[in-house]
Amino acid sequence: MAVAATHVGGGIADHVHPEPQGFIRRYVFSIDHKIIGIQYLITGFIFLVLAGLLAEVIRTQLMNANGGFVSNNTYNEVYSIHGSAMVWLVVIPLMTGAFGNFVMPLQIGARDVAFPWLNMISFWMFPLAGLMLFSSFLMGAPVAGWTEYPPMSLQGEAGTSMWCAAIFLVGISSTLTGMNFMVTILKMRAPGMTLTRMPLFVWAQLATAPLSMVATTALAGALAALFMERQFGVPFFDPTKGGSPLLWQHMFWFYSHPAVYIMILPAFGMISEILPTFARKPIFGYKMIAFSSVTIALAGFMVWAHHMFTSGLAPFMQLPFMLLTFVIAVPTGVKIFSWITTLWGGKIHFTSAMLFAIGFVVLFALGGITGIFLASVPTDLHLHGTYFVVAHFHYVLVGGSLMGIFAGFYYWFPKISGRMMNETLGKWHFWLFVAGFNGTFLPMHWLGFEGMPRRVAVYDPQFQFWNRVESVSSYVMTIAILLFFVNILVSLRRGKKAGPNPWKARTLEWQIPSPPHYYNFKHVPTVYGLPYDFSEPLPYRGLDDELTDAPAPVPAGAH
Amino acid sequence: MVEKESSVKGLGPGFWPFTGILTVLAIANIYYWAVTPLSRWMPTAVTVATQIDELFRAFLAVGIALFIYILGYAIFFSVVFRARKEDPPDALGVQIHDNHKLELWWTILPTIAVLLISWASVRVWFPIQIASASTPAGLVVESIGHQWFYTFRYPGINGEVTGNMHLPVGQAVTLNVSSEDVIHSFWVPAMRLKQDMVPGLINVMRFTTDRVGRYRIICTEFCGVEHAVMNKQYLVIEPKAQFDAWYHGWQVRNATASNALPQVSSAPVDLSDGSAAAGQVLFSQKCSACHAIGPFTQRIVGPGLKGVLHDPAHPNLLSGKPATPTNVADILQHGLQGSYGQMPTQVQNALTDKDIANLVAYLNSLK
Repeated sequence: MAVAATHVGGGIADHVHPEPQGFIRRYVFSIDHKIIGIQYLITGFIFLVLAGLLAEVIRTQLMNANGGFVSNNTYNEVYSIHGSAMVWLVVIPLMTGAFGNFVMPLQIGARDVAFPWLNMISFWMFPLAGLMLFSSFLMGAPVAGWTEYPPMSLQGEAGTSMWCAAIFLVGISSTLTGMNFMVTILKMRAPGMTLTRMPLFVWAQLATAPLSMVATTALAGALAALFMERQFGVPFFDPTKGGSPLLWQHMFWFYSHPAVYIMILPAFGMISEILPTFARKPIFGYKMIAFSSVTIALAGFMVWAHHMFTSGLAPFMQLPFMLLTFVIAVPTGVKIFSWITTLWGGKIHFTSAMLFAIGFVVLFALGGITGIFLASVPTDLHLHGTYFVVAHFHYVLVGGSLMGIFAGFYYWFPKISGRMMNETLGKWHFWLFVAGFNGTFLPMHWLGFEGMPRRVAVYDPQFQFWNRVESVSSYVMTIAILLFFVNILVSLRRGKKAGPNPWKARTLEWQIPSPPHYYNFKHVPTVYGLPYDFSEPLPYRGLDDELTDAPAPVPAGAH
Repeated sequence: MVEKESSVKGLGPGFWPFTGILTVLAIANIYYWAVTPLSRWMPTAVTVATQIDELFRAFLAVGIALFIYILGYAIFFSVVFRARKEDPPDALGVQIHDNHKLELWWTILPTIAVLLISWASVRVWFPIQIASASTPAGLVVESIGHQWFYTFRYPGINGEVTGNMHLPVGQAVTLNVSSEDVIHSFWVPAMRLKQDMVPGLINVMRFTTDRVGRYRIICTEFCGVEHAVMNKQYLVIEPKAQFDAWYHGWQVRNATASNALPQVSSAPVDLSDGSAAAGQVLFSQKCSACHAIGPFTQRIVGPGLKGVLHDPAHPNLLSGKPATPTNVADILQHGLQGSYGQMPTQVQNALTDKDIANLVAYLNSLK
């Protein structure tokens, strides 16, 4: 088959499949990375709405010091599913599954990912896992948070086992996607696209893929053990039977710390595409940004026990984990400084995508700074398990990852749909979201310091004032997200036609029609340089036919 | 097609004056944290808390100063370098790719900052976590986490102390914490210290009390449905004389208590061979402070228990379940919270499963 393919650029990147016919093969069980990316996008947004509604249940309960909106037990179920869903069904699938799938192969000049069928299987595990996770509400959902520490999780109701199975399944999906992307990026780049000519979003996906592959397997092991202990009494974690509760914590965080980087590295990549495009100047310090992504990914494997400083590690073990965590501040700082310097001397166009990108840099920086407080053992002894931690990771995951997702969505929506988004609604979305976000999460820093523990359905009345500020702000955030979805629906129907390259961006995906054809490129292009030199001619050859009526490439085996 | 590229004189308009403003703000922030003790928001109860607070204030000073620059420059560059209406539509920014000197500096300076942060952290960490282990233990106290309360053990007091935890002021303390069921946490915000209470593991906290007061003990590891209210007990730091009085009170009260840890399981108790005679002896030791052997209405704290299993006027227990031996055993095992106050659990009463079987046999024998 491959031999029969038409070779222009050469290699497996040039292999063309016949376009599938019929609705099911095209849009349901599709093997096209673009359709799969859109499937991830839609499914991820549905779970974002569901998990976001759960967040509003949390905030409504916390409006009053003595709760009263839902029962304590329901509250515990709600925040557990909120956290699990946001991590595994929203941020990770959107970062890798949605944007990785749609954008990455286009940016490297490939016709698809390396293993399209595997890609389809990976996708379909994800909504199934989501249904399983939410179905745990029917049988008594888990209550011990997204971390599900045993022995508490051994006491949980039947839904806790369903939680194990659901996360296991979505974990396999994530592992397979990581493998798929790694092979795709390493093997299927267009001729001439050396590693140091790759767009930074591709670098970010390349740094993320091994994290998904290696770390997620540790999680799978932990989940299998917890499931077996709960269902069959195999004593991994119960100390009264000879198990160790800390074993779970090590295995869980060996995954979940790298998972933090799975959730943020792709956003780093998006920001590194968006800032230069709208500042009309090259990204500042390309090599340092690419290199620091890889450094962060590697170092991310060696810091997991900083989540366990109060758990009972041998005291001397705290030292290397504390110091290695501090080290991550250096490459992170390099990125933030590079992004801000990219703004310097630009001709900045404040599109919605750009606003979210700049907002990302600032809010993520604050989340990084509070990370220092938690990485240092003496201050963590006070802050661990408090609302300060809740504030910190929401700055990273909402101010960081979710803002990145919004930025990426506004940026690539014209490519995905062929239409422009409404900029006025987009700006309302941005400002309401930023105001609501800071109102919700900023006060949590001092609430945590002053003694408010996390995961509580009721709390000391002295904290009620700020909790009310937070709850009201969270409703503002919800309105902002509502505007976002209204914007999507309106723009899909009435949005201005985008044309191939509305942002005058320089990466490969913008040099072909919006939305791209099934086969992506008529001829696989040849790459001569970095995509960030705005004053130079485009560094590609072989794209002349893309926007003309030249015939589509002939599928392999079609003749 | 080559588009129109812009150029910038020096570092751009207003760069240095604006940097001056940011620097003034940053220095003001550093000064604020240098002179503001955190005890303004949360008192300190032990000596290490002051050192931990110094580290907090250093982080706040440096962290907020850094954020002032990041936020400041992000906004400033956005304003100064915005595309203007009069710009041609294809105007470009300055086409620079990097500046090795700048990049070297912003790698070296954060590295130095990281070294300083590490040094400052280790300086506080070492005495708390390492050096303290080789100093005299002082008063050794144990705290055990339960769903959903803390109990304490003191040298010289039999059995467990319930309610608040008392310590004399100016005392070096070694606190060993563990748990009897799930993971809890022992956090006293005024101490700035916290350790998880992990079943099967003994974690150690070492500190010297230095301020009289009542400080809340809070659980920060999710431990079940009542986790949020596992904050009702206090650490009471008091002068030595008051502590001694409290201590002797517990010595007398617990004079006959057993030091054996009760055997606990969440499985229903086997009631098949309870002895009513043994139960009667136990009742006088463990139950009669709150329960009379009289009709339901003869209330001390809880209701009178004569005929509790054979009273046609009260077919249900206060737990709402039918009056059967199994349901009585359930209350003895797990306690009961209701309109009559709190019935302690098996653990709080230090009852073994066998004790429960004996008590139920005794109660069943009362007609």
